[in-house]
Amino acid sequence: MRRTVQIGLLFSRSGSYSLISEACRRGALDAIGRVNADPARKISFAPVERDPGGNIDLYGPLCGEILNTTSATHVIGCVTSWSRKEVIPTLERAGGTLWYACPYEGFEASDHVAYTHACPNQHLLPLLHWVFPRFGRRGYLTGSNYIWGWEMNRVARAVIADAGGAVLGERYLPIGDTDVGRMIDEIRQTRPDFVLNSMIGPSSYEFLRAFADLGRADPHFTADTCPVLSCNLTECELDALGDAAQGLISVGPYFRGSPGWPDGAARDFGSSFEAAAFAAVDTLADLLEQSPAAETASLAELLRLAPADRPRIDPATHHTRLPVLIAQVQDGAFRVIARHADVAADPYLSHTDLHAPSRRAKLSVVT
Amino acid sequence: MRRRLAIPNLGGAQAIVLHRPHPTVQALARQLSAIGLRVSEHWPDLSPEAARADFVFFDADMGHDAQFPWPPGRAPIPMIALIGSEAPGRIEWALGQGADAQLIKPVGDSGAYSALVIARTAFEARRALAAEIADLHRRLEDRQTVVQAVTLLAARGTTEAQAYNQLRHLAMTWRETIEQAAHRIVARIAQDAGGEDERSGRS
Repeated sequence: MRRTVQIGLLFSRSGSYSLISEACRRGALDAIGRVNADPARKISFAPVERDPGGNIDLYGPLCGEILNTTSATHVIGCVTSWSRKEVIPTLERAGGTLWYACPYEGFEASDHVAYTHACPNQHLLPLLHWVFPRFGRRGYLTGSNYIWGWEMNRVARAVIADAGGAVLGERYLPIGDTDVGRMIDEIRQTRPDFVLNSMIGPSSYEFLRAFADLGRADPHFTADTCPVLSCNLTECELDALGDAAQGLISVGPYFRGSPGWPDGAARDFGSSFEAAAFAAVDTLADLLEQSPAAETASLAELLRLAPADRPRIDPATHHTRLPVLIAQVQDGAFRVIARHADVAADPYLSHTDLHAPSRRAKLSVVT
Repeated sequence: MRRRLAIPNLGGAQAIVLHRPHPTVQALARQLSAIGLRVSEHWPDLSPEAARADFVFFDADMGHDAQFPWPPGRAPIPMIALIGSEAPGRIEWALGQGADAQLIKPVGDSGAYSALVIARTAFEARRALAAEIADLHRRLEDRQTVVQAVTLLAARGTTEAQAYNQLRHLAMTWRETIEQAAHRIVARIAQDAGGEDERSGRS
């Protein structure tokens, strides 16, 4: 007998990070469609959608609406860390679970969140350690003015200082602000070895366009001598960038066409956001099928039902073991240039050596 | 010297929870394990080995002095109070134990990480201050020796100001505090005055 399970979707379909929301939503809906079309599955999903429209104050109430007015206890959603932190108290009160499919800055391990994308030991640290010997250790840090930018740059500062490098500047813009002139001026004056870009949405797009202009005026500011680095830029935003993305170096668990993750997905995804949301729904379906009572189980109880002897999602941290791929934009597409085997998530950087996070994980250069 | 990192390293640290078995202990242990600590639960008291752990979380509601293998306020590791009842007497007792941070019960999904970081920082600051104060006390007690050394040096025909300067220079040359140098001068002059025969007899 096939059970139908309601599942919440909480993505902003408009606003400054809607390209990422849409990518996540696509991945989730695609996985729901596949679960429902699979005759071997014991469950079907019925999605319940709410759209906060990029308004931070609507996430908590809309998440509460899903959990309190429908039978859904699992919600796939949120893009920014700000919105994730907004819904956690609601999840705690209602006993719900958020499946969060975006890279984030770490230092969190909520009992009510499953983290299916990367945290800093799976993105920022391997990226910086790949960059240091090739480009240098003098960096310029940019960020959007909220927790992702602040915390990413704080970790970056620590790693750069520890490696004997220097932070030549650090500047933030409010989400949606495109006034990048001062950053560009400072970068031109300080001539760093790389720029770490932790801005999101239009700020990031405008910055990359202005940086590409700078590179045309002064050849130091091109990918061979001063690349722009990102821990969240994927294929889903490349169209918005056009030529401005050329040479950008990004890191993530997946780039279009790369094998290894999500498990058992014999197909391609548009981006790692899509893949991580797909993996969230697919994993949830697997877990719910383990027991008829699973719908009312907490996330911790569900994860204990996981059949695999080496589960993707760590029951202690609720974070996901993921491959680490470093890729560069070449002619409008990401080309993978280095790859780590699966790396266990370490959200509090408790087990990660800041000097050489890749010591245990094997690095192979893709030629 | 290794630079202190902005990211506190808590991996592999040992946390002791001194609390009767309770859902709060489970919630706290879950948070601590996720952060990367090893957790052990104890009740009703702590053995002296507790001093080898890195953190103690203790129940402020039902706690009492005899639970700890050290005197109140003398914990050798950071202490975090688990406070349920915010009764002034209980808070006072927790402070008397030397609580470096607190966590309000019931413990839920968060709070442990900030408590760990605040407790460690507060504990280290407290320990550094205590060491500095002890050092200052020692130096205060040595005032008499300094006066004695200056007097002995001045007795060789200089003014007191010159004698004090001489003491300072000697301390700098010997790379020690003025108090240590004063001790050395007093001992040496005393020896010169009374120990000539003994020394030659021994050699």
